[in-house]
Amino acid sequence: MMARRFTLLGAVLATCLVVTAATGSHTKSGGTFRIGTASGIDSLNPYVAFNQDAYSTFEYIYPVLVQYDKNLHFAPFFARSWKVTNGGKTWTFRTQPNAKWSDGQPLTAADAAWTINTDIRYQKTGAANVAGLIAHITRADAPSPTTLVVHYKQAAGNVLGQFQQFFILPKHIWAQHTGHNGTDLKTFPNNAPVVGSGPFNLVKFQKNQIALFQRNDSYWGPKPQIDEFGLQQFSNDDAMVSALKAHNLDAIESVPATAMKTVRDAGFDVSDVPGLDQTDFIINSNPKKKHHRELLNLTVKEAFDHTIDRNKIVSVVFLGAAKPADSIIPASTGAWHNPHLKPVSFDLNLANKLLDGLGFKRGSDGIRVANGQKMSYDVVTPTDVQSIPRTFQIIQADFAKIGVQLKQKALDSSAAFDLMSGPNGTYQGFDLAMWDWTALIDPDFMLSVVTCAQYGGWSDSGFCDKRYDAMYSQQQLTPDQAKRRAIVWKMQAYLYKQRPYLWLANDDSVSAVSPSWVGFGNTPQGPFNELNVSSLTNVHQK
Amino acid sequence: MRGADYVLKRVAFAIVTVFVAVTINFALFRLAPGNAVSNLSRVPHATQELRQALRKQFGLDKSRGAQYVIYLEQLVHGNLGISFENEQPVSKNLRVALINTLPMVTLGTLFSILIGTLTGVVAAWRRGTATEALTVSSALGFYSMPTHWLGLMLIIVFAGILPTGGMTNEFLLNPSFWTHLKDLASHIALPSLTLGLVLYGEYTLIVRSAMLETLGEDYILTARAKGLRPWTIVRRHALRNAMLPVATLVALSLGYIVAGAILIETVFSWPGIGRAVYEAVLQRDYPMLQGAFLLLTISVVFFNLVADLVYFKLDPRITE
Repeated sequence: MMARRFTLLGAVLATCLVVTAATGSHTKSGGTFRIGTASGIDSLNPYVAFNQDAYSTFEYIYPVLVQYDKNLHFAPFFARSWKVTNGGKTWTFRTQPNAKWSDGQPLTAADAAWTINTDIRYQKTGAANVAGLIAHITRADAPSPTTLVVHYKQAAGNVLGQFQQFFILPKHIWAQHTGHNGTDLKTFPNNAPVVGSGPFNLVKFQKNQIALFQRNDSYWGPKPQIDEFGLQQFSNDDAMVSALKAHNLDAIESVPATAMKTVRDAGFDVSDVPGLDQTDFIINSNPKKKHHRELLNLTVKEAFDHTIDRNKIVSVVFLGAAKPADSIIPASTGAWHNPHLKPVSFDLNLANKLLDGLGFKRGSDGIRVANGQKMSYDVVTPTDVQSIPRTFQIIQADFAKIGVQLKQKALDSSAAFDLMSGPNGTYQGFDLAMWDWTALIDPDFMLSVVTCAQYGGWSDSGFCDKRYDAMYSQQQLTPDQAKRRAIVWKMQAYLYKQRPYLWLANDDSVSAVSPSWVGFGNTPQGPFNELNVSSLTNVHQK
Repeated sequence: MRGADYVLKRVAFAIVTVFVAVTINFALFRLAPGNAVSNLSRVPHATQELRQALRKQFGLDKSRGAQYVIYLEQLVHGNLGISFENEQPVSKNLRVALINTLPMVTLGTLFSILIGTLTGVVAAWRRGTATEALTVSSALGFYSMPTHWLGLMLIIVFAGILPTGGMTNEFLLNPSFWTHLKDLASHIALPSLTLGLVLYGEYTLIVRSAMLETLGEDYILTARAKGLRPWTIVRRHALRNAMLPVATLVALSLGYIVAGAILIETVFSWPGIGRAVYEAVLQRDYPMLQGAFLLLTISVVFFNLVADLVYFKLDPRITE
């Protein structure tokens, strides 16, 4: 839910990173690569930013300890190697020697240690929005310019996953902005040109218009082939597609399903890969729910699941640019997805049979009655998820066939979440809802949204189950990734049966690029992503 | 003296209106369901600490009364506050958005005033002819078109000829003044044209109606009898006397310029104040909304005041 905004991390680079180094072919370096985006950068300050494109920007302008490789494994980035000691409680990173910030100042492990310690110190004030990334860390040291030592309270299961999203900031710039108990961290605008140390420097930024990046010639990693790239923001998909067709753009980050054919017919290369966004049908699973308690009955949930025609949703709503979804962890995250789970079948007869078996008979109006109440529910839907209205129509028509009446209650996302979690975080205000989530590659975040601890926070289902919470804690404290994966699979299977969510469709990530450019690799998080910097360091003219 | 009383009364009324609007602006957005903290704290890895920190930082942990007093104190000091969304001063956010909006909306509005007045005059003068039928029906046609639909149609028609999004070609590096001006003109054409086409019908109809009224007056007949040329009659006698309702409409239009044109700005990716306000509504960015609506209130009240004063000049009988 709300995931369009924070579509963070994630992704199946494996099959998707079309890392076209164009081996053996003639390549032409230089030039400006122009990208159209419907998203946008809300802030250049990592302590304030919220949007996906802002995080992707930081990936390209700030050093990060590790990144994902094309096989979804962690690969060296600013950290060239690392080792774990003290039973998993001490992590030592060897960082890139002789690196510099874009203003010529040296970039060392001390900058990384300072950023971590500053975030720990101000995690309840100015650094609150990155507090989750430094959870369980007690302190960081830099005993030499190329050695970073991070100390944990206890061995953690997702250390590299957290550091893959952690942007190292220049101490000599940011140390001047920690006043007022750290709150100044948030008010520093960090205007362009930003002092950074990535493959590109952000040299121009106008909100809702443009972000222009120039190649950083002092970058310590593989140099980009283009001189610069720009991200132009569009608030209208049709205008963006028109601009592409008119060759005012070289690529667009996300092609609407309705425009895929048009763009392909116009001669552009369209890349369509499984994405990380999944739409869902939410059943309020708060065990203390007062009204319509029949919705806590697992047989009722199962009947509802069999009433959803996922194939129709995929073909009608997404025009085929999606797959039926089955788990809280999408298949595009690779090995974290439990491969034994399959989309639930569309079977109205079975659904009717299950409800009949519970004794929920139909009234004269065709609507079933459960525990003396009509099975008639409001479905809360946010107005900012474009696929929901049409999806709801499909679901509503099928639910009518099993004697369950659904009524859409459309609200903007802020009002919708307040209604669902209210009053006062008790999750008594709704029965059913629809929304979407965008997963990260590491499963920790998605698995956390159904824990009791997320009441009033990320929870949008009211699900609270001690057994599940115990499994969640267990995976967090399991550094062995194979063992952790087994727990993660078990958790997915558990949720599959408990059904706080009925997963609907897993959208594809669709991008388009002019045939005169190669190397612009698409990923489940789109071509401009924060998984790694390969897309825009590899792209070049034919 | 009577004139001075009139002006003082209008100014006092304008000040009271602004104060009432300021209070309503404060209350209205807070009454809407949802809040800024639940929105902005929904980032990956957010903690309860983040929510508490945001609540405290935005002053939302204080009572509504205390928030209102702080808001008024800030206003008195000319401080519109800090945007919840990007932590920058609201005045700066509004200034940037307003600078982007003004040329596009002003151009569209002026287009509509000029074309609308001209077609209104022609329709009235050529009453009962095919010219009138064509003028009025086209004005009605454009006036009834949904703005965003017309914008999309223009994008389809002019795709590849004129730019379809943005204010300028942001990829032009260090353009000369003339190159920049030409680039800006090509980008502003479609959004301004859309706005102008949608608005001009209103002027056509009002000017036509006012003109028809004045053209039936005895002094027009006298002018004709004196053998004055048609254009002289229109310009000197008919149009001048038909200006009162037009002045009201122009004042209202100019007052609303600072509100931007949200649909047009969205269709043409124009980074103006309309979109800024829309985003602020979704984010429940109270300081930004309060600032934007204060600006709009002052603008509308100011131009209404100007209209009142222009009335006084155009028709001194108004104070009687």
